[in-house]
Amino acid sequence: MKASYIPLIAAAAMLASCKPTIKGVTPSSGEANFSYYVAIGNSLTAGYADGSLYRSGQENSYPAMLGKQFMTVGGGEFRQPLLPGNAGWPSPKRVLGYTTSCDGVTSLGVKLYGGASDTSGSSTNISGQGPFNNLGVPGIRCVDYTVAGYAAIAQALAGVGYAARMYPHPATDRPIDIAAASNPTFFTMWLGSNDVLGYATNGGEGSGTGGAMPTDISTTAAFEASYNAVVDAMTLKGAKGVLINIPDVTTIPYFTTIPGRGLVLSTPTQVAALNAAYAPLGITFTLGANAFIIQDPAAPGGLRQIKSNEYLLLTLPQDSLKCGGWGSVKPIPKKYVLDETEVGYVRSATNTFNEIIRSAAIRKGLGYVDAHSYLGTLQSGIRFNGVTLTPTFVSGGAFSLDGVHLTPKGYALMANEIIRVINSTYKSSVPQVDINNYNGILFP
Amino acid sequence: MKKGFIFSVAAVALSSATLHAGSFQLNLQGLRQTAMGGSGVAFPWDVSTIFYNPGGLARLNGIQAYAGVFGVSPTVRYVPDNSGDTYAETKRHLSTPFAVYAGGTLSKDSRWALGLGIYTPFGSSANWGNDWTGRFITQSISLQSIYFQPTVSYRINDLISVGAGFVYGTGSVKIKKALPVQDMNETEGQAVLDGKANGVGFNAGVHIKASNNLQFGLSYRSGVRMKVNGGDASFTVPAALATNFPRTAFDATLPLPGILTLGVAAKVTPRLTLQGDLVWAGWKSYDSLKFDFVQNTASLADSKEPRIYRNTLAVRIGGHYEICKQFAVMIGGAYDPTPSNARYVSPDAVDADRFSLSAGLSYAVMDKLSIMAAVNYTTTAGRQVKYEPANFSGAYQIKSLVPAIGVTYKF
Repeated sequence: MKASYIPLIAAAAMLASCKPTIKGVTPSSGEANFSYYVAIGNSLTAGYADGSLYRSGQENSYPAMLGKQFMTVGGGEFRQPLLPGNAGWPSPKRVLGYTTSCDGVTSLGVKLYGGASDTSGSSTNISGQGPFNNLGVPGIRCVDYTVAGYAAIAQALAGVGYAARMYPHPATDRPIDIAAASNPTFFTMWLGSNDVLGYATNGGEGSGTGGAMPTDISTTAAFEASYNAVVDAMTLKGAKGVLINIPDVTTIPYFTTIPGRGLVLSTPTQVAALNAAYAPLGITFTLGANAFIIQDPAAPGGLRQIKSNEYLLLTLPQDSLKCGGWGSVKPIPKKYVLDETEVGYVRSATNTFNEIIRSAAIRKGLGYVDAHSYLGTLQSGIRFNGVTLTPTFVSGGAFSLDGVHLTPKGYALMANEIIRVINSTYKSSVPQVDINNYNGILFP
Repeated sequence: MKKGFIFSVAAVALSSATLHAGSFQLNLQGLRQTAMGGSGVAFPWDVSTIFYNPGGLARLNGIQAYAGVFGVSPTVRYVPDNSGDTYAETKRHLSTPFAVYAGGTLSKDSRWALGLGIYTPFGSSANWGNDWTGRFITQSISLQSIYFQPTVSYRINDLISVGAGFVYGTGSVKIKKALPVQDMNETEGQAVLDGKANGVGFNAGVHIKASNNLQFGLSYRSGVRMKVNGGDASFTVPAALATNFPRTAFDATLPLPGILTLGVAAKVTPRLTLQGDLVWAGWKSYDSLKFDFVQNTASLADSKEPRIYRNTLAVRIGGHYEICKQFAVMIGGAYDPTPSNARYVSPDAVDADRFSLSAGLSYAVMDKLSIMAAVNYTTTAGRQVKYEPANFSGAYQIKSLVPAIGVTYKF
């Protein structure tokens, strides 16, 4: 072959391939079967956000995200009990907007959605449109699962029919039977948060040592019996799945946003006045930041300063703080405070319940998603594809405007953590969710 | 209401995804040399030696002019980790680096030579689109540059010839990235950085003609610190956050490294010349990329992006075969290791070890006028990298096919 042909052949070879060829890993289901996926849980599972349940929140629930990813590994359609509207049911969702507070300052804050109400038909029972893959019920506790007629009771107690609109027979159905009847090949179960959260978000006014009301922490015995019963029912026909544990509720912005040392005194006159008023109790104030005064029946005079390991609830009325003298001349009512003892009850119960969840996962060979640990890493920021999420209220991007539930971006982070555990447990290759496809907080 | 996250601008890459060389360094400055794997320090083929080795300018007999243009349209593919078989690719865009040289010996036997080179040592365009998964790091980046190099060369004797040129570089950069703030319509924010840069340096070389059949070359192109002074940074964000993202000016410095090249050219048969270059690039000086915004807020902080580049040594080899007096063919190849650090590769500065093959031909249309054509194919293996500051992991692969054409005229 003449040497002069070589350059021409080289050129031809080059022209033949000019597109990159690298590829990713083909999705696979490993040892699991994703053909019918069911999600069990509470508001976090239902897609509740911004203080209410609304359609686009449901469409951005983590189970809907998982359902979409499972479609690449044999999963089918993911059906949810979608509400007709986006305004929020039964009460309007929260949005960011400008409000003028009692001291005349207009600033960006949280207000209720003021748009047209599109919730008509929300309470209609749609169980006929089922079966639903997302069985999440806002407000439901683990201990409620074995209660016959839970849906009717919840409607009577809370005035809200989240379960009543989904269950075929609200007056008699037990949630555990609804769950078992769904007959999944794969399930996720994120249950138990409300068994402590109901107590915590009510400022610890209920029983911290165990009780039956939604504002009590559930008793360990009732929790354990119900949890194990549900796990047994879900796995009766060999379904695989993951159990998700209870996050540390004291790290959520609902408790961490209003600072305990939020009493800022800017003039010596203010300082002197408070010092004079509280002198008999030995409480002193300085210029700058001071700890708020809170109600405490056990303290001398029935009040004291809040400690650094105690929390103020996000629902504390801002106007009362700014203009009503709360926290300075008047104590903040204890129902807006989670004090040291109450925090202790919450943490202790969380740890106990999480141990029950973990044991159930081991006992049944299921995956275990440590949401407690994972959402703990949110404190120092979780970065993904150029976006950093933190638990800071509003600016952190992970928590929605009620300070408890997540934004779609936050739910996407959870979905990816669940996928990570599923892939590790069942040797599957379910693709991750791109969290950047989902909204964070919307600003006006 | 303050937004707690810190705006950070990822790399302003110079070149990257385009041309066969380690990261920023480009070598599409001469047609024949490109056809021969980018080698060319040891043999002054034509007046493009102003770039490859200024010392070779005084070896030319008489004045020559030269013009060449390259068609660059690479494709970069990104496969994100753990995402099934999804991938993203840069959109096709044609850049046209060019080179124009004129110069030579002042008279036929003069030892002195003068020349001027105008060339584009880096120019890249990577457009990932506005909606891709890495848009909060980069949406698009567009870089152009032109270097002016007046050069003088002196042939000391038959053995040694030296030369040096002063380099004045001017360029422009435009970067777009999305901002993770959304308005009530769910629309994301955007940042656009637009700036002009300039810098100075030099290019010096020694050419050694051991015999008619054996030549050596050594050249050093100094580092050039391309400074952007007072570029324009503008932001589109929800009205509630406008005060956190004021329109402001920015400064940045892009340190292009010094390049030392050592090469040999051997005429092994009357028609065949083989040449090879070893190219050392002092990339270690590129430790981080800093952006200094004139106005800072809680959301808009000066950024320092780690790069941690390392020095590299590239190999280029080529052959030139005269089929007849008017017609020659060339072939070559090169291996350009990447200076980039696998922990800090961001989508606007994609780089990996590059392998390239090239070929070309030259044809003397008339006694004084020759046409040259070349084609270069560069590819990388898939490279698994991360951009740690953004927690962005995946694999990249680059492929490019560059056709080029040029003319040279001997006065």
